Amino acid sequence: MTPVQQALLILLLPLASAAFIALFLRRAGGLASAISVAACAGLAALSLALVFGGERNFPASWEWLRLGGFSLSLGFKFDDLAALMLAIVAVVGLCVHVFSLGYMHDDGAKARYFGGLSVFMFSMLGIVFADNLFMMFIFWELVGFSSYLLINHYCEKQSAADAAKKAFIVNRVGDFGFLLGIVMCYWLNGTVNLTELAAHHVYTTWVPLLLFCGAVGKSAQLPLHVWLPDAMEGPTPVSALIHAATMVAAGIYMLCRIEPLMTPQALTVIMWTGTATALYAALCAITQRDIKKVLAYSTLSQLGYMVAAFGLGSLLSEQGEHRMLVAAGVGAAMFHLTTHAFFKALMFLGSGSVIYGCHHEQDIFKMGGLKSKMPLTFAAFTIGVLAIIGMPYIAAGFFSKDAILHLALEKNTAVFAILAFTAVLTSFYMVRLWILVFLGTPRSDEASHAHEGGLTMKLPLILLAVLSVLGGYTALYGHTFDGVWSLIPHAEGATILVISLGVMIAGGGTALMLYKPAGSDALEQKAPGLFGVLVALKESFDAVYNYYVAKIQQRFAILLNFLEQVALAGLIIRGFSGLVGLFGIGARALHVGSLHAYVYWFLIGVVVLWAYAAGVF
Amino acid sequence: MPIQLLQQAAAANEWLAITPELMLALLALLLLVLELVLPRQLHTLIPATAIVAQIVIALGLAFNFDSAFTGPGTAFNGLLRLTADGQFLRLFFLVCSIFVCLLGTVCLAKQRMPRVEFYHLVLIITAAMMLLAQSNHFVLFFVALETVTVGFYILVSYFRESPLSLEAGLKYLVMGALSSSILLFGIVLLYGAAGNQALPGGSPNSMNFDQLRIFLTDNPGNFLASAGIVLVLAGVAFKIGAVPFQIWIPDVYQGAPTPVTAFLAVASKAAGFAVLLILTQRVFAPYQGLVIPVLSVMAAATILFGNLAALTQHNVKRLIGLSGVSHAGYLMIGVIAAYHEPHAIGAIWFYLSAYLLASFAVFGVMAHVAGPNDADQELDHYADLARDQPFLAAVLAIGLGSLAGIPPLAGFMGKLLIFVSAFKAGLYPLLAVAIAGVVISIYYYFGWIKAAFFPAWRPTDAGLPQAAVPARTPVNLGVRIALTVLAVTSVLLGFYQGAFGQWILTR
Repeated sequence: MTPVQQALLILLLPLASAAFIALFLRRAGGLASAISVAACAGLAALSLALVFGGERNFPASWEWLRLGGFSLSLGFKFDDLAALMLAIVAVVGLCVHVFSLGYMHDDGAKARYFGGLSVFMFSMLGIVFADNLFMMFIFWELVGFSSYLLINHYCEKQSAADAAKKAFIVNRVGDFGFLLGIVMCYWLNGTVNLTELAAHHVYTTWVPLLLFCGAVGKSAQLPLHVWLPDAMEGPTPVSALIHAATMVAAGIYMLCRIEPLMTPQALTVIMWTGTATALYAALCAITQRDIKKVLAYSTLSQLGYMVAAFGLGSLLSEQGEHRMLVAAGVGAAMFHLTTHAFFKALMFLGSGSVIYGCHHEQDIFKMGGLKSKMPLTFAAFTIGVLAIIGMPYIAAGFFSKDAILHLALEKNTAVFAILAFTAVLTSFYMVRLWILVFLGTPRSDEASHAHEGGLTMKLPLILLAVLSVLGGYTALYGHTFDGVWSLIPHAEGATILVISLGVMIAGGGTALMLYKPAGSDALEQKAPGLFGVLVALKESFDAVYNYYVAKIQQRFAILLNFLEQVALAGLIIRGFSGLVGLFGIGARALHVGSLHAYVYWFLIGVVVLWAYAAGVF
Repeated sequence: MPIQLLQQAAAANEWLAITPELMLALLALLLLVLELVLPRQLHTLIPATAIVAQIVIALGLAFNFDSAFTGPGTAFNGLLRLTADGQFLRLFFLVCSIFVCLLGTVCLAKQRMPRVEFYHLVLIITAAMMLLAQSNHFVLFFVALETVTVGFYILVSYFRESPLSLEAGLKYLVMGALSSSILLFGIVLLYGAAGNQALPGGSPNSMNFDQLRIFLTDNPGNFLASAGIVLVLAGVAFKIGAVPFQIWIPDVYQGAPTPVTAFLAVASKAAGFAVLLILTQRVFAPYQGLVIPVLSVMAAATILFGNLAALTQHNVKRLIGLSGVSHAGYLMIGVIAAYHEPHAIGAIWFYLSAYLLASFAVFGVMAHVAGPNDADQELDHYADLARDQPFLAAVLAIGLGSLAGIPPLAGFMGKLLIFVSAFKAGLYPLLAVAIAGVVISIYYYFGWIKAAFFPAWRPTDAGLPQAAVPARTPVNLGVRIALTVLAVTSVLLGFYQGAFGQWILTR
């Protein structure tokens, strides 16, 4: 099998599975889940073989559409970056598929769920392989669609339906900018192929900024972050796969893909967007009561880290016309993306295990004491927490977070300060979550009857826990991803180590002191003012958007609707149809049925023709 | 009669050139003999014989498509000219005739009528149309035309117990006679003008198309010839139902039995276009300056009038008649385009073929939905057709969709080919009219589909009398196969034209 065929097979396996489920297995949930998991296992095996087989940059491109001089092609660009992303998607995807077997075991619409997962895998792999922006956009929309499908899995719940709609619409806003960027890129450069663009392109800030809009939507950066916390209405494994590890990271991946197009101005915007998101989301996470919402805000915050890292690192210096592109940002962002995919998927699946064990109770103040009830989940989740707060040398998050902080310290002190403060907050809310969920005694019936899930739910946790520990040691990957890993900036000296230890201890220690495993929020009691500000901060965006939709957009829509009803439908369409109808009635009236009239009609016709022949007119 | 002439004819044996027509005439006689010979209970075999024999003739014709007789020469002293187009039209009329006979078996079963004469007349008319499409002389032209018309006088009033059918027959007779007289007067004027040997190109044999053309080339702007041409065109316009000679169509189409309506709508119209093409492209070509404006005005008026009048019809036979008027308008655009764009003739043949397939599909459905009163076929009668007889509803939808020119059906390709030819020929105003016409036509075609597919709101009040819907005829196997073939071909021809498309292009 040539690498091209192998890649094609990887891409088409989940599509085949989805099509088969949609066509034949809509009622057969058990069989559908088996097929979907088998397809995912197959694609994971093939992917790892392809990734570690060492084949890179094989030519694979097919023309898809040609309109005059305008042509669109579909093709694969498989370099180290794509290989890394493929490995992440395949491994996390497989873990989530297997975990879903247990988690969704009693679900009534299992076939739809697993079909949706397969559609998602197909779409996500399409983004990974895409060799041009147009193809990426197609699959970009497809992941949006599958995300909509899966958030909406509990579609009988109004909140789930609303959340799915919100996610779809908010993403649409970002995608509009993305599409504009692609069009502008084609207009300026005459191509959207990534390799050709990297070799030669017109230097402008607009194209990268417009393309960044797509990342803002998909990776839920400010101000389009509002959909991600709501998207937690979907099943927990979906949150782990789509809304933590892969799809939301697609924005970062896309930025790394178009890195050659970047300009200093664009990078500055990107850096500040990411930094603001990281801080804002961390602040919001502190007040959350829902275990998945805490994780969702933490995902937002970590995505902000990645975006900030990309913005920080990619351009080293600009001296007149001579620009030095140093892709350190790509290295740091992708490194953090990798470790984050592992430990956040681990935490989400851990929370899934907790939710499953507590009979779908999600309020952390009603949990507690799960350390003894669910020892494996506790251990796995603890590793996840250690990874995200950056426990030195024990867990993966430490290395990638250090790389980002190191970059920030070198480039921009203000950003460094904010990111460091964000790290304090991260430790704070993560330790808070960990205390409330696992320590103390059960605070509700559900928690006291908690139990571990089956083998299918344990295995993915163990695998992801191992990856969360080892994933930070780049040496372990051999030379497979050297194209990316070689870009990671390394801190010399102990400055960064000391700082990151300090922020971790500051945040974690405060949380340890403040929170006790109790049924109410300690922060709310001790500092209600601060708590109120944080809640208001979280609500502010939704309030603004709601105001905009209800008061501005809705009124504009009513006006347009009125115009459409009166002017378009009323005057133009009805008017024309009435006019044509009148002519029709007139024409019909000519057929009087009388033979005399018909004969005269004939004769008049002949006379007219004769007159024409005679030259009368 | 000089004996040498007969001897010459025998030596050349030109009778072989009209084998299909002869076989049809013999078949028509055979049917009458069979009616006398066969016992009454076996009379159902007669239509079957007619259909099978015609299929055999059609196959024979198809296999001998490139006959030795086709070519630049003429037969029977210049009466006939056999061309590839003529061969195509022979096949076309035969296929029409087969489907008309098939529809006849469905419709005549509902009536207490002598049946065999119907098939006899259809065969005679078909043979006459075949000759008409190959005529090269006004005598043969007129005789063949009159054979067709006289046959139709009988067929239109065939359901003689129905007053509407009789009325339609009478109207067709009077209007037909009037148009024949106009046509004949035109022929006489042309004969008189071209027979004047004092003028250049004048010849005693001026009824011959080739001689006439020579005369017209030599005498541009001859008033008598111009008047004759216009009158001949008026006579042909009656056949194809072009404005202002379309006025008979709704009444006659409504009164005539459904198979005859189909025959009129498809075969008679195609014969009219065959003649129109021979006359305008070959014979009257020197008088383009006169013919093109006349045809252009007629085409625009025909398209608009047909579509607008069809818009408000409730009787489906009137509706399809008036929509047929607009189809004649589109085809006339093709005729005009043929002056500049030789592919336009192929486009006309393709359009007619698609029109044949779609029309017979629709008429086939109409024959099954109609009750014993053949003239009473309202749109309301199609309510719930999709629920009760999904097969008929599907065939109806494909047929109407193809007539409306919805891609990817054959009718769309037909319209596309005609419009492309018109575009290449630079007929932009006519194209605009045609496109407006197509838009209007979609309204009533889809209204019909809507009537069949979407349940209409009916008052639930039991006190109101419900409109009586005639009982629908079940579809027998033979007709089912035929309708399936029509529908499937309508779809396939839209996707892939194959050897037929190749022939159209390279004709």
